[in-house]
Amino acid sequence: MDKILAKNDFARWLEALASYRLYAPQNKDDVWTYELIESPDSRGLADVMTAVPAKKIVFPQREELFAFEEGDEAGYALSELLPGEKPTVIFGLRPCEAKAVILTDLVFGGEFVDEYYWKRRNAVTFVGLACLKPPSPNCFCLSVNGSPHGTEGLDILLTDLGDTYYVESLTEKGEKLVKAASDLFADPKPDERTRVMRLHGESEKKLRRSLSRIEDVPEKLKGMFDSPFWDAESMSCIRCGICTYLCPTCHCFDINDEVESSSPLQGRRVRTWDTCQFPDFTMHSSGHNPRPDKAARLRQRINHKFQYFVEVWQNYQCTGCGRCITLCPVGIDIINVVEKVRDHAG
Amino acid sequence: MVNIEDLKAEAKRILKGGNVKYIIGYERPSNAWKANPVFARTPEDVDRLVWDPSCIHNLVRFVVDEKRRKAKEKPVDSRPIGVVVKGCDSRGIVVLIQEKFIERMDVFLIGVSCESTGVVDERKLAKKTVGTTVLKVKFGERMNYVVTTEDGILDIPAADIIADRCLECIASFPVVSDHLLGEKSKRDVPKPFQSVEKMESLPTKGKWDFWEDQLRKCVRCYACRSVCPMCYCDECVVDTINFAVTPETTAEEKAQRIKWLEKSPADSENIFYHLVRAIHLAGRCIDCGECERACPVNIPLRMLNKKMEKEAKELFGYDVGFDAEKPALMSCYLDGDPGDFIR
Repeated sequence: MDKILAKNDFARWLEALASYRLYAPQNKDDVWTYELIESPDSRGLADVMTAVPAKKIVFPQREELFAFEEGDEAGYALSELLPGEKPTVIFGLRPCEAKAVILTDLVFGGEFVDEYYWKRRNAVTFVGLACLKPPSPNCFCLSVNGSPHGTEGLDILLTDLGDTYYVESLTEKGEKLVKAASDLFADPKPDERTRVMRLHGESEKKLRRSLSRIEDVPEKLKGMFDSPFWDAESMSCIRCGICTYLCPTCHCFDINDEVESSSPLQGRRVRTWDTCQFPDFTMHSSGHNPRPDKAARLRQRINHKFQYFVEVWQNYQCTGCGRCITLCPVGIDIINVVEKVRDHAG
Repeated sequence: MVNIEDLKAEAKRILKGGNVKYIIGYERPSNAWKANPVFARTPEDVDRLVWDPSCIHNLVRFVVDEKRRKAKEKPVDSRPIGVVVKGCDSRGIVVLIQEKFIERMDVFLIGVSCESTGVVDERKLAKKTVGTTVLKVKFGERMNYVVTTEDGILDIPAADIIADRCLECIASFPVVSDHLLGEKSKRDVPKPFQSVEKMESLPTKGKWDFWEDQLRKCVRCYACRSVCPMCYCDECVVDTINFAVTPETTAEEKAQRIKWLEKSPADSENIFYHLVRAIHLAGRCIDCGECERACPVNIPLRMLNKKMEKEAKELFGYDVGFDAEKPALMSCYLDGDPGDFIR
């Protein structure tokens, strides 16, 4: 059911959602990130691409799995630590990020259902903001089957109409947020609906970047595993974790025991973000490293997103948010790399 | 002014003569104002070289990579690599030589003048150009930058968008090079440590609160370490495997290694990481500012390193990266060194 919400009433809507944890993009030290809303901004939602994606809320950088404690005689006592399920709303999500959640769902909801992920993920209602103009110069969602006004993964899509938001509730979860303050929402006039459709259409023409004939890429990559191409392309890579840690779809993790006391032995098993871009990611205990250099690691990032994920899940594991391009300290550009793969002779 | 054609001519000369393996310089992609590192091997590559205020990176970082690559190379090509260096970058080369990480003959340095200004700060430029798209940035003649945008040309005083580190730079001209381009310029730097003064005036609790708040943002992507030309250790305490494992390493040796810090981005671990890095850069950091620039969450990392630089200056009268003949600060003891802080 589509509705209209005056921006002046946005803060009142948030007040009506007091039982939820509310996140929205906020600026601290010139960097945008999703933070808990302490006082709602009277101007409404920021139309930005955050540096750190919303995945940090559904897939936090540190997740406690269980606690262990050495007992007197009975050995170890283990206690499960599942995340709490306080209902959460993320406002101002870009459509590419919502799509990234759907892709991550595939990974954590496959043969093995990851309870930690789903507890958090199911507690979240995703309120997206359509990108009427690209929030990043490196946006290319259209090239990877996304859209600046895409609804996949969203519970509500907001479209900025100046003084009002056009509110499309897409799921029951979304409907519930609207019902929590139904007196604030008015029915749209027919011309408002037409205007939204026009703005959505125009937004598709405003993207500055694109990646054409991407469908040729998975097959091409298969033949390029041993190509010297990767050496040349990775020359300037500095092996940091920016491109993966700040990718909304990257989801690799490490598991460690954090010991709090050595006698009696007490601690927690935790999982933390990890990345294929770190040299120790694939290090075997024998000392052998099957991905010994940055060429192998760049290849892995591209192969995972444009070949392996496609083979397993029939989707590119990239939603075109452009973060890895914008934030790479040395200007490695995933669009350029993939275009070169596509056009590679071998 | 550096004439880019002179730079290209020199680059072609050394490549053609086979004097160097390749040249690390800057190029500008067609879709962005900002330069990227480029590894030039052919005259066509050289034609893409640029020198402008967007050439932010310290390319000495890639000299470290070359040393690693060469260690595995068969047969070894021991020719030097060409590197385009600014003043700060050239000081990095001096430190690497002092520390015997490289030899002077490993590099052929094409030094470029920062034209009495320096490089631009991306975030400052973004604020000055809201609503338009920057296409190109050039050095101006009067301590200014000429910024070409989609909506016309802007003339911006250098002070408004220059990188913070350039405001405190004590070497805006290469201190070592094999081929120099541009005029030697001397700039007054009345306050070389202004970035740390405000912090120094805070009470201890104020400092702690500030850094706790800043370092809480850290996502431990290690970009600050990875981009740093001085962070060249093969084994780093912050990695999960922080020692060289070989087939000969026994299980016991592996089990008994100390885990210095957890991967969790907890306050204690983040603070530990950044303090370890700052201490390890004391007397070594040449303030190229790359750590702070690379940080995706804008932690003011330069301030930590600048404080260390100030300590080295005040306690030992040591300026980092000016004299390759001198021993490195932390690896020598001189009779005149102050010792009153040792108790």
